[in-house]
Amino acid sequence: MPAETTIESSRSPAAPDPDASGLPAKLDASRTPRLLVGGVGYRLLRDLSFGPLLVDRLLREPWPDGVEVEDLSYGPIGVMHNLESRPPYDRIVLVGAVKRGRAPGDVLRYSWRRQLPDEEEIQARVAEAVTGVISLDNLLIIATFFEKLPQDVVVIEVEPLDEDWGEEFSPEVEGAVPRVIEEIRLSIAGWLPS
Amino acid sequence: MCFRNLPIEFDSQGSATLRGVGADPFAYQTKAIDRDDVKRRLAKDDYVKAVDYDPVTRVAGALGFHSVVDLENRKVLEASSIATLFRGYEVILKGRDPRDAIFISSRACGVCGGVHATCSALAIEMAFGICPPPLAVVIRNLALSMEFIWDNTMHLFMLAGPDYSEAMIKKTEPTLWDKATRTETRWGSIHGYSKMSDLFHDMNPLVGKLYLEGLELSRMAREGYVTLMGKYPHPETIVPGGVSHTVTIQSFNVYLTRLMKTFDFAKRAIAIWNDIADFFYDANERYKECGTRPVNMADLGIWDDPKAYDATYKNCDAWGEQRWATPGVILDGKLVTTKLQQINLGLEEFIEHSYYEQWTGQPHKTDPLGAPLSPYHPWNKETKPKPGGTNWREKYSWATAPRWDRVAVEAGTYARPWITVLAGKLPHRRFLDLTPDSMKILIPKYLAPEVQVEWKIPPVFNAFERNRARAYSIAYQCVVAYDNWLIGMDILKTGDYRTSTPFTVPKDNRMGVGFWGAGRGWLSHHLELDKGAIVNYQIVTPSTLNACPKDPWGNPGPYEEAVMATPILEEFESKEKFKGIDILRAIRSFDPCMPCTTHIYAGDQHITCEVNTCACGDDD
Repeated sequence: MPAETTIESSRSPAAPDPDASGLPAKLDASRTPRLLVGGVGYRLLRDLSFGPLLVDRLLREPWPDGVEVEDLSYGPIGVMHNLESRPPYDRIVLVGAVKRGRAPGDVLRYSWRRQLPDEEEIQARVAEAVTGVISLDNLLIIATFFEKLPQDVVVIEVEPLDEDWGEEFSPEVEGAVPRVIEEIRLSIAGWLPS
Repeated sequence: MCFRNLPIEFDSQGSATLRGVGADPFAYQTKAIDRDDVKRRLAKDDYVKAVDYDPVTRVAGALGFHSVVDLENRKVLEASSIATLFRGYEVILKGRDPRDAIFISSRACGVCGGVHATCSALAIEMAFGICPPPLAVVIRNLALSMEFIWDNTMHLFMLAGPDYSEAMIKKTEPTLWDKATRTETRWGSIHGYSKMSDLFHDMNPLVGKLYLEGLELSRMAREGYVTLMGKYPHPETIVPGGVSHTVTIQSFNVYLTRLMKTFDFAKRAIAIWNDIADFFYDANERYKECGTRPVNMADLGIWDDPKAYDATYKNCDAWGEQRWATPGVILDGKLVTTKLQQINLGLEEFIEHSYYEQWTGQPHKTDPLGAPLSPYHPWNKETKPKPGGTNWREKYSWATAPRWDRVAVEAGTYARPWITVLAGKLPHRRFLDLTPDSMKILIPKYLAPEVQVEWKIPPVFNAFERNRARAYSIAYQCVVAYDNWLIGMDILKTGDYRTSTPFTVPKDNRMGVGFWGAGRGWLSHHLELDKGAIVNYQIVTPSTLNACPKDPWGNPGPYEEAVMATPILEEFESKEKFKGIDILRAIRSFDPCMPCTTHIYAGDQHITCEVNTCACGDDD
């Protein structure tokens, strides 16, 4: 089994402090929270397609009211524009494969701390995005810079192994799927009415 | 006679024959690239530096640039354009069902997926022998106009724009910035800026008002596209013989609400880029040499006339000349043809300096009309990748070297008005008119009043004129879209809601070609089918034409040629602080579909330019 790692930030986004009704204190308990689970990545690149292919599977599962599951693999600028046109979300959970040199199949969950690079680097990311580059990092940076993300964003990354053409995951990444789905459900559980 | 170098001639009836005799009339002698002088100067002169704009390859592709510059005499001594990634769409498509080509080839580009899908559909419907109904042709024109509008806007304000921003000018040309603070604009009544420094300030990346306005406009244009085509990128509603969905007057009206907003933006974009070009020329006449090269350009035309287009190769000259943008080739400033068949016959791809193995054989001695076809033509080409090391005398790029009549021609949105003006054929003049040297564009009113703008063939051709013409092209695209919108409404009023033509996949041998264009120019898809599957599929993109390496005769590709002609006007205190802005402006003026970030590595005094492309420049 691949090593699995979960890193919680000090804000512990997967377990927000609930108020008496079971909702985070800052939420209006009289309404259903709006939560978005989005996959990011290119299709047909096996493990690198983790985000969109996982969304395909998630869409076959039941989700509580207020939870939307969507493939966000169409470019950070387009995603940003779509977020802008919708009522704001209370929390967004983004899922994708990112190569960071960890053991294949490693799962990392963290709270996006909204730390941005310098503006020259952000412009470079925008320029990549408008010319078609899709990446989880670019989406986080661009949507944060233009203030289209809610305060609460949880990122779940999987370390890919196989980047060849295809729709199947490597055994290591396939083995991580149940854990990722569990992490997603944990990430939204504390936000929903009991 | 449109060909000077190819052994093809035409009789008075327009029938093509092979000129000359011999075993291989298309054979040629290669010429070696001589680098001895450059190497000697690199070793001898401290002020001669190799400046490599190194690529950082990401998923979408990459392009890099190698140059040698003489910083004392402010000249570029050597330039080599490098596509660093093999993507292999042509290999992937071999053996597949032809209908898959629309969806797979769409992925050749993250920006231009709609044009690749459409070009593929055009090639397939030619091979299948089917013709889309008029409304489908109009829908394609409408949707793709939006794609062109956001593409050109994105380039002018998000990709090339930052090169002309306060942030960049202060860093690279502080004297120029000082002048900008004292210079009144000429077009302020339209764009709203009285001082050039204010205009440059709003061009600043990420925070500049114009940058953000461009970003917003790109959103509106995409909304217009998806109103008619369902989704973007990679629309799934483009099929051979039309589109796979229906439209209504309601969807047309939703589209119009987006289109109308682009009218006012186009008026302002033209005024802005007129002022930018004029300011730089006034500051230093030598800016006119930035990115200059001979006026050699080609375009296949876009926007089919729903009454003329029949999807046949036999009639391609006729329906091509009915397009809103006339197909054509310009060599040394002179229009040499507007006929799609001739443009097709003149196209060849060479691989002497590319990481490919030369293919052998010539399966097609002629095109489907019996005209001689070069063995180097895409219909005869086989993609045989052969990775290897970089050698500036030998192979250094994954892009092939496409040539037209063995001349390096560039592609660009600006080729369209240029060719259309010189051709003087334009049959659609509701919002467009031509003079011998200009195109008049009547931009309808939205919030700003109706205005007629006039793009004139420039006396000089350079980076600034590419950008200026690109701004006028946004207006061109807006009014062609509006013209098609009115035509589409007329069709809907007749009750003809047909948007596709039924077909069956033929099992015999068929040929097809998609003659189309991206926001940045020429796009062709050549295919051959047999037994219901793709035997050969070849894509030539605008950035392949522009970013290509040298040809067998040692002649540079358009980027290389433009950079070689670019004077170094940048202000720098020491060679360590040289940023290469003039070179970058020259390359970016082609709309190379790549963002560049420039870093200085103080240690080795090299500039590294990270370049990510949407892969148009790579061989597909």
